Amino acid sequence: MIKKALLALPVALILGSTAYADSSKAPEEVLEGLINSVDSMYLTQSEQNLMMMADNPALWIAEDGKALFHAVRGPNNVSMAACDFGKGPGVLEGAYVEMPRYFADTGKVMDLETRIVHCMTSVQGFASDDPAVRARHNNESEHMQIQTYIASHSNGMPWAPRMDHPMEKALRDAGEEMFFRRAGSLDMSCQTCHSESGKRIRASVLPNANVPQEWTKAISWPAFRVGHQNVRSTQHRVRGCYWQMRQGQVVAGSDASIALISYWTDVARGQPAILPDMKR
Amino acid sequence: MMKMKTPFAAGLAALATLAIAVGCAGTDVGDSGKADYTKMSSKELAEHLIFDQNGFRLDTPTQEGTTVRERQTQDEMQKICTETRNQPSPQQAGQIISDARASITYPDGGIQLGDWRKGRELAWSGFGFRVGHNNDDHSNREVGGNCYNCHAMATDRQGGNLGPSLTGYGKSRGNNEATRRFVYEIIYNAHAYFPCTNMPRMGANGLLSQQAIADIMAYVLDPASPVNK
Repeated sequence: MIKKALLALPVALILGSTAYADSSKAPEEVLEGLINSVDSMYLTQSEQNLMMMADNPALWIAEDGKALFHAVRGPNNVSMAACDFGKGPGVLEGAYVEMPRYFADTGKVMDLETRIVHCMTSVQGFASDDPAVRARHNNESEHMQIQTYIASHSNGMPWAPRMDHPMEKALRDAGEEMFFRRAGSLDMSCQTCHSESGKRIRASVLPNANVPQEWTKAISWPAFRVGHQNVRSTQHRVRGCYWQMRQGQVVAGSDASIALISYWTDVARGQPAILPDMKR
Repeated sequence: MMKMKTPFAAGLAALATLAIAVGCAGTDVGDSGKADYTKMSSKELAEHLIFDQNGFRLDTPTQEGTTVRERQTQDEMQKICTETRNQPSPQQAGQIISDARASITYPDGGIQLGDWRKGRELAWSGFGFRVGHNNDDHSNREVGGNCYNCHAMATDRQGGNLGPSLTGYGKSRGNNEATRRFVYEIIYNAHAYFPCTNMPRMGANGLLSQQAIADIMAYVLDPASPVNK
C-alpha cells in the first residue's frame, strides 16, 4: 500500500497537490515517513484510514476555508489576510507549528483557535456570539474550515512552539503539571493513557507521549475523525479527553487549555506535523 | 472528593441553571484579574489556571451531588501519586494503603457473587459520571463499570490492555472466600494493594453500588461466566 502511494506521488505533483505547505509531501506521505522510522502499532492501526488519506475530506474543508480566509467579511469589511498569526499579517507558512505563542497585541499566549477568534472579533469586528465565531465543532463550522486551511500551511513542518517569552515557558510548564495531574471520578490524568506504547482503550491503540513519532500524529489537528464524520480541532480533543476522564469541562481558549496544548506541542517538537490528518 | 454527598440539592439545581446560562455565553476568557504567571511555580500556576482563571466550568453540577470544583480538587492519594509520578516513597505508599483499607466497606452477610449476566452488561458499559458538553443522566440508565476499556475479559469482544487480562480469571483462581474478598477489594479500592495504581476506586469513589460490584464479580469469577469458558 505504501508503495502504491509512492507510485501515485508523481501523478499528484503533476495534477497539483491540494496541500498548502511549502513541502513536497502530502499529509499521507508525512505519515508514511513516520511509519518507516519507527515500529508503532499506533501509527499503523488503521490501514483503511491510511488508504483513504489521499481523499481526506478535511482537504475539502480546507478549500472551503481558503475562500473564507480571503473573503472580505465581518462588520469591518476586511479579510483575514490582515491578521497576524505570529509571522506577520497574512503569513501562514509555518505559522501553526510555532503555536501556541505569545502575542504582544493581546499580552497572551494563544493557540491557533484562540488566535482565529481574536482575528474575527478584533480585526473583522464579529461579535463574540456570532455563529461565525461560536460554531467550532464540525465540517459546517466556518471557524473549522478556516482553522483547517491555516493549519494546512504547516504540513510536514516540524513542531516548533515558541519558548522565547517567559509566558510561553510558564504555560508550557504548567501544562506539564496538568498532563500528569490525577483528578476526577476515575483518578486519571493524561499520562494514564499516554505513557506506554501498544496500549489500547478497548480496540483503539493509544499514542505514547514518550515516542515523538507517535505523539506528532496524536496532536496533528485539525483532523477528519472517521468515527465522527467531522473535522475536529485540538480544543475538541482536549475537551473529549477530560470528559472521558470524568473531570470537568475545560474552557476552550482558557489559559489552562493553552497551557496543556503548549506542553503537548512541545513534546512533539522537531517531528513533522500531519496537516490535515485523518483519525479513527 | 466523592464522599461529599452534599444536601444542597435545591441550591445545586439553581447553580445548574446558572451554569447553563453563563456557560453558554461564550467560550473565551477575559483578562480579568490576571496575576503574574511567571512569578509562580509551575504547580502553583497549574492550580491557578484551573481554579482561578476559568480553566474549567467549576460550577457544573455532578451526578454525585457536588460540582466540577470538587472533581478537579485533588485528595491526598491523587496529590501524592501526581507529585511522585505514581512512584510513592515507602512511607507514602504505606499511608495510601492504610487510607485505602479504611475506605472499604463490606456487604452485610459476606461477599457473595451476583448475576454474571447482569455483570457482563455492566463490565462492558462505559456509561456514567461524564459531565460537560454532554451529561450522563443516571435516571435513564445504570452506571457501568468501564472494565472493558482496560481489561480483556471474555474473548467474544475485544477489551483494552491498560490493565491485566482477566480472561479465565475465575477458572485459575477459583471462587473461594479469599479470592472473592481480594476481587471485591480491588474493585472497591485497588490502592489497598497497589498504591498509585491506575485502577479507579470504583467502590470508594461511589461509582458502583455493592450490588453492581457483586454482579461484575460474578462475571469475573462465576464458572458459568463466558470469562471462564
